[in-house]
Amino acid sequence: MGKILTIAGKELRGYFVSPMGYVVLAFYLGVSGLIFALTITAPQAEAEMGGMFHTMVFIALMMAPVITMGLLAQEQATGSIEMLMTNPVRDVEVVLGKYFGAMALFVIVLVATLIFPVMLQVFGDPGPDWAAVFSGYLGVLLTGMAFVAVGLFASALVANQIASAVLSYVILLFFWLIGWLAYAAGERIGDVARYVSILENFQDFARGIIDSRPVIFFVSLTFFALFLAVRSLENKRTI
Amino acid sequence: MIRCEGLTKYYGNHQAIADVTLNVAEGEIVGFLGPNAAGKTTTMRILTSFIPPSGGRAEVAGHDVVTDSLNSRRAIGYLPETSSLYRDMRITEFLRFCAGLRGMGRAETKERMDYVLDTCGLQNREESIIGTLSLGYRQRVGLAQALLHDPPVLILDEPTVGLDPNQIIEVRNLIKSLADRHTVMLSTHILPEAQMTCQRVIIINHGRIIAEDTPEALSSQIREAETLLITLASPGENVERQLLDLPEVVSVRPTSGGSYHLDTAVGTDIRAQIAEFVVKHGWGLLELRPVEMTLEDVFRQLTTEEEGVE
Repeated sequence: MGKILTIAGKELRGYFVSPMGYVVLAFYLGVSGLIFALTITAPQAEAEMGGMFHTMVFIALMMAPVITMGLLAQEQATGSIEMLMTNPVRDVEVVLGKYFGAMALFVIVLVATLIFPVMLQVFGDPGPDWAAVFSGYLGVLLTGMAFVAVGLFASALVANQIASAVLSYVILLFFWLIGWLAYAAGERIGDVARYVSILENFQDFARGIIDSRPVIFFVSLTFFALFLAVRSLENKRTI
Repeated sequence: MIRCEGLTKYYGNHQAIADVTLNVAEGEIVGFLGPNAAGKTTTMRILTSFIPPSGGRAEVAGHDVVTDSLNSRRAIGYLPETSSLYRDMRITEFLRFCAGLRGMGRAETKERMDYVLDTCGLQNREESIIGTLSLGYRQRVGLAQALLHDPPVLILDEPTVGLDPNQIIEVRNLIKSLADRHTVMLSTHILPEAQMTCQRVIIINHGRIIAEDTPEALSSQIREAETLLITLASPGENVERQLLDLPEVVSVRPTSGGSYHLDTAVGTDIRAQIAEFVVKHGWGLLELRPVEMTLEDVFRQLTTEEEGVE
């Protein structure tokens, strides 16, 4: 565990000695803040976050590949992975360390967005339904976990940062857009599409419903992507 | 401390090393000598568990590098060939990160960091960002990282590459001073470097070990002849014949522009006689100097001998 935290700490620190952490933070807060401002100033706007959570998940999709692209790709490109992996650390410790480092940045960003429901509480009458806010945030967090894991897998797979980012966009957009099939395709394919669609799985959280199925979906997607990342790292050295 | 048996590594169809068997005893400094692409780095990467071998086995400090790699890696301090460090970290941050990966405690980390910063000559630079350091200093940081956890075995891939002559001497002295506490295996493609720092030299070429001995024994074995280069302004006819008639000259090979390579018997220095001889014939002596045997020559000689045996 100590080694995982060492690696996670290094990554988190790395975000904030480079512009990356600040850019991501500014981008996320800027875009979601703009949407937030537009929604609450609309006529007859209610003090609720339902629509906001969809926006936040989409921005998370845009952001996750950016924060994960360098994690392992850069180590492979510069060769620093050799120094890292010849230390007595397991591949899984490296992957988890990198993962927690990126997730820490994501959580910092999410915590910063708590300003939105707080403003609703202060200025709204009545204030927001905090149970729904909680479920929405849980949803964003779970989706983010899966996004970051997919991004990390892409970063393990290719040694080029840009290629890694593009690859994770392709994977994530696949899971995002497949939701459309749910309505366009026939019943059988549509059902399958609905099960693996990020949007469909996220829907309930935004409505304030915590169902076990989407939780299991995002957690298993996370584990599967992390497992593939470990495998890919092992495989890199076996070739 | 280091044991390889029949180590083989293929990259696709390309055989990087073939049947490498070697032993390094405790407290020894062994030089791993070979031209570029000879298989030095591949062997070292296998020993440090960075890549698995295709065949054969290797042990470091009694731990198999494949099946017990966490323990073998614990015993090793490794300086990779291109010591790619994290450019955005400060030296102290980087060393603390390495200590964390090694699971070192706070007090131990502090004590060892002071020691390696001092030993590697980094005392006044410890807060520098690694990306801003010169190549020589980065090499020292790599070395500091390798020494940090006081490992019984040090594996150093080209430790003096990219250093200026003064730094090279410093690093060589540092490596020598480590010998009483560590087992050292270092790779180099510079023959004199191996001669100066190592007690034993293993020569590898095309992925195969072709010689293994003390530096002294190897160089006497290699030096079957001394070679002189002479350049003449106006060589007359039959220069080669007449030079060959000198008793110590074994062979004469013309090169370009009136220059000749003379192979003479080992341990003889006939420069004075040659000069006198050339002057007597009025050939106009422009140049006369002994030719250092280059590493290329050594390898050519060793590899051709090997083929001759087979």
